[in-house]
Amino acid sequence: MSSMATDLQTRARQVLVLRFTGAERVAHWVHFVAFTVLLGTGLFIYAPFLKAFAVGEAGIATRLAHRVAAIAFIAAPVFYLVFSPRDFFYSLKESFTWGKDDWGWLQNAWNYYAHGKAGTMPPQGKYNAGQKFNALTQIITFGLFVITGFVMWFGKGSVSPDVFMWSVVIHDLSVIATVLLFMLHLYLVAVHPLMRESITAMFEGTVTEEFAKEHHGKWLAEKVYRKRDK
Amino acid sequence: MAKAMFIDTSICIGCKGCQVACKEWWNLAPTKTTQVGTYENPLDLNADNYTRIRFNEYEASGKVRWLFLKWGCLQCTNAACVDVCPTAALKKNEIGFVSLERDLCNGCGYCSQACPFNIPRMETINEFTGEAKATKCTFCQDRVTNDLTPACVKTCPSAALGFTDRDKVLATAKTRVENLKQLGYTEARVYGETELGGLGRVYVLTAPASAYGLPEKPEYPALTNLWQNIVQPFGYVAAGLTAAGLALNWFATRRAQLGNVETIKPEK
Ligand code: HEM
Repeated sequence: MSSMATDLQTRARQVLVLRFTGAERVAHWVHFVAFTVLLGTGLFIYAPFLKAFAVGEAGIATRLAHRVAAIAFIAAPVFYLVFSPRDFFYSLKESFTWGKDDWGWLQNAWNYYAHGKAGTMPPQGKYNAGQKFNALTQIITFGLFVITGFVMWFGKGSVSPDVFMWSVVIHDLSVIATVLLFMLHLYLVAVHPLMRESITAMFEGTVTEEFAKEHHGKWLAEKVYRKRDK
Repeated sequence: MAKAMFIDTSICIGCKGCQVACKEWWNLAPTKTTQVGTYENPLDLNADNYTRIRFNEYEASGKVRWLFLKWGCLQCTNAACVDVCPTAALKKNEIGFVSLERDLCNGCGYCSQACPFNIPRMETINEFTGEAKATKCTFCQDRVTNDLTPACVKTCPSAALGFTDRDKVLATAKTRVENLKQLGYTEARVYGETELGGLGRVYVLTAPASAYGLPEKPEYPALTNLWQNIVQPFGYVAAGLTAAGLALNWFATRRAQLGNVETIKPEK
């Protein structure tokens, strides 16, 4: 028995679901690059073992790069708001809306993501509880980064040393909170054996129907099918 | 052997020769002065003035007198500036001062914010790029590491300043305080012997520290401690635990995944 090559047109039709608009994806990647650069250039000052990059002229360049990346970091959500306002506010609202399905997700998360056991995992909206938690942390720390960052940038001498030092402490706590989630985020989209497809949503904007069904069932039913079937 | 600067405020005449000598040795630009009714100038340290004489009026038992305080980096033993410096531009030197290597400094300015005495000043080169250099008194590091005395000490006309082994400085200061007490300066005291692990400047004061605008009990800044010794190490631990958790998750998931996979192998 042998199987032959087939025409693309005769194969079962693949159904894709649009998850992120172009503007959302651009904003996400600008945020990603800015965050990575901020983290890299910030760590040179934070971590003694990276001291070589913090010294003298190299240090001045590192600190300048941190400032340039900070502008991009601020620009990313502004871009999102301007070019995709509906999705911006939808995502914002979703992040702040928590219900029993979110607690259900939290209860089942370890078994689901470590052993592939669905248990009583409830269907999720456009963002599952973990993604919402990530988004909330990003939103809160964004505010903290901007305020404390600008105090550290322009505040020396005009704010009291205590305010400056609190800013450094809060800047660092924000770094720690976001870095832990960043590690988890990178792991889930790029390393976790069962979740690799999620990243195509950020590259191509779409995921397969099966993936959307499995991971964002509620969203698919309420926001995608209902609109299509109208 | 650690040395120290001896500063006897009881014989300082406030001539500010030390300020001039400092500027000459370090080739510092003149700064605009402000007339406030006394000869005190400049009114604060800045990137072109590493030392200055602080003027304070003090009234005790119906008599008003001037207290002159030669001011500048106090060269703490437990130096917060050294601990927060991310480049080691600031270092404790065994001679008993905090050295500053301008080439290493990246201008972050943490030292200027951590100092309990508000000493280091930033020479701001560009506010927007953040380019700057820290400045402060180093006891003339190039001089004292070559067996010379700091320029200010060398120039002092009233011998209110000295620079020698710390033990000797402390002994002289204590004798001097005893003498002053006998002369009726009952509040005379030594400042700098134990403060912050011992200061490189040892003062003979004729009035309470507060009368000179000095903190009675200077303390290592609590926020520096929180940031450097609690928050930063916590960051490493938290990142490590997260990484371990993710590795654990990967092995578990991979096992579950392989349990549901069959791989067909080609013939050998
Ligand atoms: C609007 C955004 C931000 C601004 C304006 C900002 C600004 C600053 C400034 C001014 C400093 C002090 C050092 C210097 O003067 O160069 C600093 C330090 C630092 N920043 Fe940021 N930053 C921002 C966002 C971030 C983000 C997103 C991260 C990392 C995820 C980050 C990580 C760090 C770290 C690790 C340090 C060193 C703190 C330490 O020494 O412990 N920053 N930042």
